[in-house]
Amino acid sequence: MFAIQPTSAEPIYRQIVEQLRRMIAGGQLSAGDLLPSVRDVAGFHAINPMTVSRAYGMAETEGLLERLRGKGMAVAATTRGNATQAQRMTLLEPQLQALARHAQELELPSDPVLRRLGRLLED
Amino acid sequence: MNAVLRSISDDDAPLAVQGLTHGYGDGAVLNGIDLSLSPGSVLGLIGRNGAGKSTLIRAMVGLLKPHTGTAWVFGEPALALSDRAKARIAYVPQQPEALAWLTSQQMLDYVGRFYPAWDARFAKDMLHAWDIQPNRVLGKLSPGERQRVDLIRALASQPQLLVLDEPAAALDPVARRDLLREIALRAGEAGTTVLFSTHIVSDLERVASDIAFLHNGKLLLQCPVDDTKERFARLWLPAHMSAAAPSNTLGQRRHADGSLSLVVERQADGRWPEAAYLPGARVDALGLEDLFVEIAG
Repeated sequence: MFAIQPTSAEPIYRQIVEQLRRMIAGGQLSAGDLLPSVRDVAGFHAINPMTVSRAYGMAETEGLLERLRGKGMAVAATTRGNATQAQRMTLLEPQLQALARHAQELELPSDPVLRRLGRLLED
Repeated sequence: MNAVLRSISDDDAPLAVQGLTHGYGDGAVLNGIDLSLSPGSVLGLIGRNGAGKSTLIRAMVGLLKPHTGTAWVFGEPALALSDRAKARIAYVPQQPEALAWLTSQQMLDYVGRFYPAWDARFAKDMLHAWDIQPNRVLGKLSPGERQRVDLIRALASQPQLLVLDEPAAALDPVARRDLLREIALRAGEAGTTVLFSTHIVSDLERVASDIAFLHNGKLLLQCPVDDTKERFARLWLPAHMSAAAPSNTLGQRRHADGSLSLVVERQADGRWPEAAYLPGARVDALGLEDLFVEIAG
């Protein structure tokens, strides 16, 4: 369910929380959906279970997940299945900033960059 | 209560060293090492070839008498461990040599009798999974096979402290993943404390809770893995700004064009050193591998 990249500069627990945010905002996960257990995630990816617990704990604090007694973690009932467009845009902000910075470093005018991005989005 | 006859308590760090120094000939290999592992932690020890990782590990488990300093295992001096403490430890050297005249199966059957929690089923399954012929004599196995058998021996004893010297060297990618899974789940669920040395950084990033980087006889960056990634970054300054470089950085490299790369650490308030905010300066997040190369390269 998660795509873990141990060598990324982003710590593994942050990768998990970030992916949960996206999947919930994007509607791939809806309220009440059960998450795989800490053991299953840790075993599958061969990562430290404490890392997974930490990620789930953070997501719980953020209100993304809730602990169901005897069942484990589930997507929180209060989370609206589809976040507003503005909320989803916020999730894309870091990538957009990185893209803008790279384009400036390459001294590219904005028109061709936007045209190319537009074409990619239409695919 | 008799304070002198203190028994092993769970409060004692599974593994601790203080003021360790050692060397061969003229060169100092370890130069004042302090380290302590808390129960259930997984410490990944990393360093360049010849940095002294094996020497440190051997001193930590009492197989080598350091020039100065002390090592403790579960609160006991490592050089004089009780049988009870020994039964809780499993150590796998880089090149196991003991009991070479026995077959894998004979060795595991024999050794298993000394461990109260021996898991014979696990040993059998792993021999199969890791492609070891149980009836071949250990002395005839390749070094890699030999280390695999020893890893199986160590895991089947269900130790509370597992110490592995470069375990990845003998394993193909699939077996390596098996081993990492065992390490991760045992630490997380059984509370096993693990110390392993490696030069494969991604292994360390997967399962380690903490890292220690052995460089020039000292331990650098001794902290939780996640902290390392969040606390350190590479600061790049163009040539005309290199005078603004902060002092006390971990690594510093000047490029041919006069620009400067530095490894910087967040200050107490979470901000990078001032130079990082100058126009033209750039801060790049670093994975562990890049961080090590910046410091040791």
